[in-house]
Amino acid sequence: MKPLNFAILKHFTTVKEACADDVIKALKSEYGSFKALSKNAVIEALMTAEQNGLMQESKYDMDSKGELRVYWRAHEEGAATINKYIPN
Amino acid sequence: MDAIAAKQKISASFLRKGVIVAILSGMSYGLFTAFMFYVAMAKGVWPGLYEKAGSTVILLCLLSALAAAINDSISAVWCITIAAIKGKAGDFFRSIPTKPGRMMILAALCGGPIASTAYVLALNYAGSLAAPISALCPAIGAILARFIFKQALTPRMLLGIVICFISAVMIGGISFQADASPTMLLGVLIALIAAFGWGLEGCVAGYGTSMIDYEIGITIRQFTSGLSNFIILIPLFGMLTDGGLGLTFDYIGKAITDTEAMPWFIVSGFFAVFAFSLWYKGNSMCGAALGMACNGAFSFWTPLFCWLIPGIFLGKFGAPIPTIGWFAAVLMAFGILVIARNPLDLFRKQAVVSLQKQGA
Repeated sequence: MKPLNFAILKHFTTVKEACADDVIKALKSEYGSFKALSKNAVIEALMTAEQNGLMQESKYDMDSKGELRVYWRAHEEGAATINKYIPN
Repeated sequence: MDAIAAKQKISASFLRKGVIVAILSGMSYGLFTAFMFYVAMAKGVWPGLYEKAGSTVILLCLLSALAAAINDSISAVWCITIAAIKGKAGDFFRSIPTKPGRMMILAALCGGPIASTAYVLALNYAGSLAAPISALCPAIGAILARFIFKQALTPRMLLGIVICFISAVMIGGISFQADASPTMLLGVLIALIAAFGWGLEGCVAGYGTSMIDYEIGITIRQFTSGLSNFIILIPLFGMLTDGGLGLTFDYIGKAITDTEAMPWFIVSGFFAVFAFSLWYKGNSMCGAALGMACNGAFSFWTPLFCWLIPGIFLGKFGAPIPTIGWFAAVLMAFGILVIARNPLDLFRKQAVVSLQKQGA
């Protein structure tokens, strides 16, 4: 089992793009009991990864509840770095 | 609110939060230094141990390393407790054997024993001149971040770095006039090693925490720093003394069973958690250059708290730094602000919009 932050980043090497809710849904079976698997914590982890050049925003819109929904993607260099530091 | 406005708001809020976090880390650094050096180490067995050490450099190094080891180890216990409460203790153990985990350990070894030892040695050779020189670590960190991680270093940031160096020289000049000695130049060079060590730690740790949760990162940092001091550094210093390892264990025993000083080390260790964890968090949220710049205001906070805290808890205020020192400390903070952002933006109505555009 990987640390939660690693699993969040690694998820983006397997999908084209994802928002925080997508990440939570994908990791819920394994990390459902983790307190840090919350929307705010996941968004902060992804914005931190973006600030450090691992990730970039791909698009954003408002969801059906009227909340901002940001999608991120791991660009080629970011995905390579994630895979280098976090192997399968 | 439309999606663009909501997105701009969240981006600006994230950067602002990173800046606040990094500034708080500098304040916590001042508080932990004041509680450790001016309260804990002024109580119990410590004054007696220092009296015995006299001017013997290796014994002074041993005592300083011992204090740092106790502080960092207690801080590590605070860290793992906080992580456990937040349900992250398992991730601490899972992160250690990974590549980012090893990066964090390497960062801690740069900033823990290496930089701290260099700082103590520099204090021995150059007196108080060592402190402002070591405060150059944000400027050195910004330069290192440019070369190691290709983070942006604009002409404005370079200007800020120059201002930081000028203010450090001004602060240093005070001590230079007061207690110039033949060993001062050596001390300055050793203090630069401390600044380099802490600068490098900020860069490496800032990048490491982009992958590791910052609370896990600081737990690894404090355990590495505390344990490496206890297992490697203190015995090494002990072996260089006439008393050998026997003296080392005698000092360790006396210090950790001291009921007068230890409660204050628990307080200093608590603030050390936030000094370093918020430093790591700030760096990873707003980039190593900006994060370290905001944290670097400890050049101002440390003398302020080292003046106030002993007065509040011991009834005897610390020695205030001269007026020119306060001026230079404020100039240092301004230099840090210049590294972080264009100060003119503060006076422009469209500052927020500008910031949002950068974040978007």
